[in-house]
Amino acid sequence: MTALLEVRDLAVEYDSGERRVRALDGADLTVAAGETIGIVGESGSGKSTLGSAVGRLLPSTANRVTGDVWLAGERVFDLPPAGIRRLRRERLGFVFQDPIASLDPTMRVGKQLKLVLGSKGDPLSHLDRVRLANPGRVARMYPHQLSGGMAQRVALAIAMACQPRLLIADEPTAALDAQVREEVLEVVFSVAAEAGTSIVWLSHDLTAVARRCSRVAVMYGGRVVEDGPAADVLGQPAHPYTAALARSAPAMASLGDRLSPVPGRPPVLAEASHGCAFEPRCPYAEERCAKERPELHVVRTQEALCHRATELVTAS
Amino acid sequence: MKDWLTRAGMVCLGLIVLVALASVVNLAGDPDEIVGPRLAPPGPGYWLGTDNLGRSMLPRIMEGIATTLLLSSVAVLVTAALSAVLGIVAGYRGGVVNELIMRLVEVLYSFPAIVLAILVAAVFGPGQLAALASIVLVTIPLMTRLVRAAAVGVAQRDYVTAAIISGARLPRILGRHLLPNVAGTIAVQVTYALSVGIAVEGGLSFLGFGVQPPQASLGVLIQQGTTYMTAAPWMITGPGVVFVVAVLAINVVGDGLRDRFEPRQARSLV
Repeated sequence: MTALLEVRDLAVEYDSGERRVRALDGADLTVAAGETIGIVGESGSGKSTLGSAVGRLLPSTANRVTGDVWLAGERVFDLPPAGIRRLRRERLGFVFQDPIASLDPTMRVGKQLKLVLGSKGDPLSHLDRVRLANPGRVARMYPHQLSGGMAQRVALAIAMACQPRLLIADEPTAALDAQVREEVLEVVFSVAAEAGTSIVWLSHDLTAVARRCSRVAVMYGGRVVEDGPAADVLGQPAHPYTAALARSAPAMASLGDRLSPVPGRPPVLAEASHGCAFEPRCPYAEERCAKERPELHVVRTQEALCHRATELVTAS
Repeated sequence: MKDWLTRAGMVCLGLIVLVALASVVNLAGDPDEIVGPRLAPPGPGYWLGTDNLGRSMLPRIMEGIATTLLLSSVAVLVTAALSAVLGIVAGYRGGVVNELIMRLVEVLYSFPAIVLAILVAAVFGPGQLAALASIVLVTIPLMTRLVRAAAVGVAQRDYVTAAIISGARLPRILGRHLLPNVAGTIAVQVTYALSVGIAVEGGLSFLGFGVQPPQASLGVLIQQGTTYMTAAPWMITGPGVVFVVAVLAINVVGDGLRDRFEPRQARSLV
């Protein structure tokens, strides 16, 4: 296995007793070492579940139906408790959406960093690495004394403390002010690049992701429906859903254009989808789209899960 | 508005603790010494009167406070330690462990306090140990349930997930992250449990299953006082007033702590 992360045909269902929701419906994803990839999807597309599954952090109500996850050559779901603990510690870092909530409110920042570092390493140098001014002062502060941007840098320092191979960032800037967003992203990407860490950035913002990441994977209905180089996915989408998403992004429109939202609602699957999950909202849908699960089609530089991907591209 | 109330409660509680400490060195005299005629009304040499054996009431009440307070405090600390462990483990692990612990605790919860206490006294034999065990068993269900509820909330927080990702073992997650974050709940419940503890000790000793005479406790004194209530009302007035003030003060302090540790609305705007 040469890839750092490999997700194959992963299906995960949440069972709350009376209701069953299929969050992942056969998702595939490959991340190479050092690569930066953005996973884009609406709420409920399964991107957070995918992120949790990589660290085997699914809640107890979730249930893996099929598929496997390999991280650094190890099957995540087959590891014994000691093995998964070692894998998480050595290979994996997480950055969460709410930076303040990802720090323990009862512990000073320096102490939290020290807990993660163990005896080795100096907390101050790690705070310095995420470009926090005056690390000594920050180390003595409690999380509630930090601003959102500072807290997210501290959270990043903690996540990157053990030089993980893979950093999963779940909407890391969604809770931040607009003006610190770019700064925090800059730090995330440069710290990861220095350490040679791959980034999986989960987001709903296609254009923001495409600006930073080398690759973009678009998720819909619990599957990765399109995967390819960022510029191509954004510029010449191969999947109708990606195209619709790109048309609805304010940053992509030129002045005077009307934004066109994607019509309809995202699906909530209760079982494996029989056809293409996007079929009810798709302007190009035909009969087989509702009946057959789409296979992978290679279109130019991208891979797309769409029956008509090839003909639609040639048509345009 | 409630600030002065909390403060008054703390002053009362502080005075009660001081009195208990003073009794350890027999500041007001030996509680077992016969100093005057039986059932004498308050007068010089026995400022709160004497009891049916001619012992001065003042040192007896002081000893009673010390006994009751010490017994309840030790019992409540035991409860806090057990509840913290049970509640945190149940709240964090969930599943079968949770079911097991919570159903067990609910069985205890289903008994009325005094019935449970009598049952314990019957098993251990009357005495301080029975009173201590009763207080623990009576206070453990509520505290465990509340600690568990708090722990369930904390267990889902991102910093716990972050700790898991950083490869933390279970003891570190529970001890360094869960425990400090539910400590406020435990502190509040400790004060309430203390007032329940005093009430249970009083009830049990009143019935003769708890502290045994000649040692004085608030329960013992009230029991003796009821016998002579018409002839020597001072025998029951002192212990009764102290009992009420202690329970009230502790509850008021508990309310103050709760407002501080568990504000209904988070102050943070982030």
